[in-house]
Amino acid sequence: MKAAAGWLARRLGFYVIAAIVAVVLNFLIPRLMPGDPASVLFARFQGDLDPEAIEGLRKTFGLQDAPLHEQFYSYISALAHGDLGLSVAYFPTPVSEVLGEGLMWTGLLAGGAVLISFVLGSSLGALAAWKKGGPLDTVLPPLLAFLGAFPYFWLAMLAAWVFGFQLDWFPLRHAYADNLAPSFSWPFIQSVISHAFLPALTMVLVSLGGWLLAMRNTMIGVLGAEHVRYAQARGLTPRRILVHYAARNALLPNVAGFGMALGFVLSGALLTEVVFSYPGTGLLLLTAVRGQDYPLLQGLFLAITFAVLSANWLVDVVTVALDPRTRT
Amino acid sequence: MVVVAQEQQATWIRNFNPLVPTSARWPTSAGVYEPLYIFNEATGEWVPWLATDSSWSEDATELRFEIRQGVRWSDGQPFTAEDVAFTFNMMKEVPGADLGGVWGFLESVVAGETQVTFTFQRPYVSGLQAISQQAILPEHIWSSIESPLLEQNPDPVGTGPFTEVSTFRGQVFQLDKNPYYWQELEVEALRFPALSSNDQASIALIRGELDWAGIFVPAVERTYLARDENYQAWFPTQGGTIFLYANTQVEPLDNPKVREALSLAIDRQRLVEVAMYNYTTPSRPTALSDGYSDWEDSSLKGWTDFDAQRAGELLDQAGLKKGKDGMRTLPDGSELTLSITSPAGWSDWVRAVQVIAGDLRNIGLDVQVKGYDFSAWYERVGRGDFELSLGWSEQGPSPVPMYKALMDPSAVVKVGEPSFRNWHRYGSEKAAPLFAAFDATPDPLEQARIVNALQQIFVDEVPAIPLFPAPAWGEANHTHITGFPSAQDPYAPLSPNAVPACLLVMTRLEAK
Repeated sequence: MKAAAGWLARRLGFYVIAAIVAVVLNFLIPRLMPGDPASVLFARFQGDLDPEAIEGLRKTFGLQDAPLHEQFYSYISALAHGDLGLSVAYFPTPVSEVLGEGLMWTGLLAGGAVLISFVLGSSLGALAAWKKGGPLDTVLPPLLAFLGAFPYFWLAMLAAWVFGFQLDWFPLRHAYADNLAPSFSWPFIQSVISHAFLPALTMVLVSLGGWLLAMRNTMIGVLGAEHVRYAQARGLTPRRILVHYAARNALLPNVAGFGMALGFVLSGALLTEVVFSYPGTGLLLLTAVRGQDYPLLQGLFLAITFAVLSANWLVDVVTVALDPRTRT
Repeated sequence: MVVVAQEQQATWIRNFNPLVPTSARWPTSAGVYEPLYIFNEATGEWVPWLATDSSWSEDATELRFEIRQGVRWSDGQPFTAEDVAFTFNMMKEVPGADLGGVWGFLESVVAGETQVTFTFQRPYVSGLQAISQQAILPEHIWSSIESPLLEQNPDPVGTGPFTEVSTFRGQVFQLDKNPYYWQELEVEALRFPALSSNDQASIALIRGELDWAGIFVPAVERTYLARDENYQAWFPTQGGTIFLYANTQVEPLDNPKVREALSLAIDRQRLVEVAMYNYTTPSRPTALSDGYSDWEDSSLKGWTDFDAQRAGELLDQAGLKKGKDGMRTLPDGSELTLSITSPAGWSDWVRAVQVIAGDLRNIGLDVQVKGYDFSAWYERVGRGDFELSLGWSEQGPSPVPMYKALMDPSAVVKVGEPSFRNWHRYGSEKAAPLFAAFDATPDPLEQARIVNALQQIFVDEVPAIPLFPAPAWGEANHTHITGFPSAQDPYAPLSPNAVPACLLVMTRLEAK
């Protein structure tokens, strides 16, 4: 147990260093990009703005050309206070306020989709390997690989067109019906589910194949291993062998992959959110990039970074629980 | 209730601060708040709004507004001349709020009993536009706000028709009518679903979920109008003009004859057909759109008609001879390649530059199309780092703001420094005194004479190449709401993008 704690502590140390590097890069990268956020902002006036007013606005936005080290200092000290600055695109709303709701919806939609895809894909993969050559094993892997090969946005637009626009089975945009106020009532929850259904379905469809194939292939290797044969020789029930002896071991690579997938949830849902106009962080990211909204971009990247790192830390903990070798 | 789509936002952020129009919700400066006068682009008239009358002093250094009586703020307080003076004097203290740059020419703003007097540093007739379209704020609220630019103003108090925020969520917000509004209102509320893109807005429009919108719809007859007889679209071309800007600091575009040749080489009829779905027409030689036809000198002709042969002759005279491969070279024999740019995502403009590049290749010019992301494109044209580019023009109640931006020497900035107008870097010494003279005279006859002279200079010196008037996108759905303007009843522009003229529409709409 002590060894496990030491291992987890070492991993934690690594994540802290990664976080520091991310914070520094997060400061540098937007500033190395070409283009000036102020001019983008003023461009929206299409000429209806006087130079004096532009100077005044520049000052208000803090867009004056301070030396880089001074900018870095103010960035770090603000960050330490949890202040991510004011958004340029939504000026003068604080970035943290702009991010708030988006994080929740993306977490719900993409987090849910990844979880469903992981559980469903891994289970189907385990079953396919168990009955190797059976109907499940012959039909599903090629079918899902085929679906996964579609460009995602194309599949999403097709789904939106057929089931949303033509058949009118599902709503085409937003996270819940516009005429409902958020609450813990059944109509609202129902509305959230029906709005998330199509986006989540498309995300699950394209990613399911990957989980299934990975699980199936590892599983086949594990099923041939000595300890499984030993379990069979002892006369354990097939169900017990499948779950406790084979799947538990075969799941390890998938769990590592799950950590990565979970981390990328916040950024990876960008296309889904654009196609279905889902009010999450992906759409915000798009707005921020288009408007060169540095503070919002930095806030988003920071959120994504911390999500990836904490997801990986969680996976480490789960790995320790699943894999006794890490505990010795 | 009227469902409106004007802004394209993924999520609504609650901001109703008219001093920061880039982040305030669309109805803020014309809807929640109101200006003194509204310039109606559709009729070319000034409509008295919070003011009832205005008068100039003889020498055009003093402008006096008579303030409308009986108007109340949405909290019940009376609206007075003091509120007007307060708004402008605050903009003096907070320069970032002075978007029209009024304190560049204002001396003082003083409130009387029912009047407000604006005194100018010099005779300045053009100041009327910047002053009269400013949204007026209530002194009893804003005098206690320390940093007006940082205020999000979530619960605004205004004089406008729709001031009460009854719903505000990321996906939708609703403004109910002002209980104290000074006119009769026939609709109860405006509602705004968050639509993140043109595609999303088009789908909502086609499905009848919107009552009023201002978006570009391709092939509108087939995609929208054919679906329901209650659907209406009106894309008038009375505002600004889309130009082909040629950087006059780049050889051979510094030669006006070469610029004239470029203009003659462009088949504008095909251009508006291919790029603009025939929503607009080829530009007039003076670059003035229909909205300015009263100002126009219609005797000026010729140089915007398609004439490839004449274009070739002009280029020959300018020394740009054709080489062996049929492509033209510079007079010293060196290779000549020009690039033409546009923002990459603007599909109508991208098609337009492709058509233009083809036309120019036909007269032997090697022209390459380059698309940039909007911000990168804007940065380049602003710094003068381009050869040919599409661009918009400035608008105003007279053609003068447009011509000023095109050829006023004082608007010219060195290449490399950012500029928000006059990207092509052209100043006309002949036009400069005319701009000063225009601002010093309130006499309409004298103004007309000056604008005529400016048109002649524009045609002679070719500061930029006019392509076509820019359509103002406007769509309406008459199923639940009536009273929208149309080509048959053009009392105002239909487009909600026309701020503050959209107030004229808001106050005329009726629920069926």
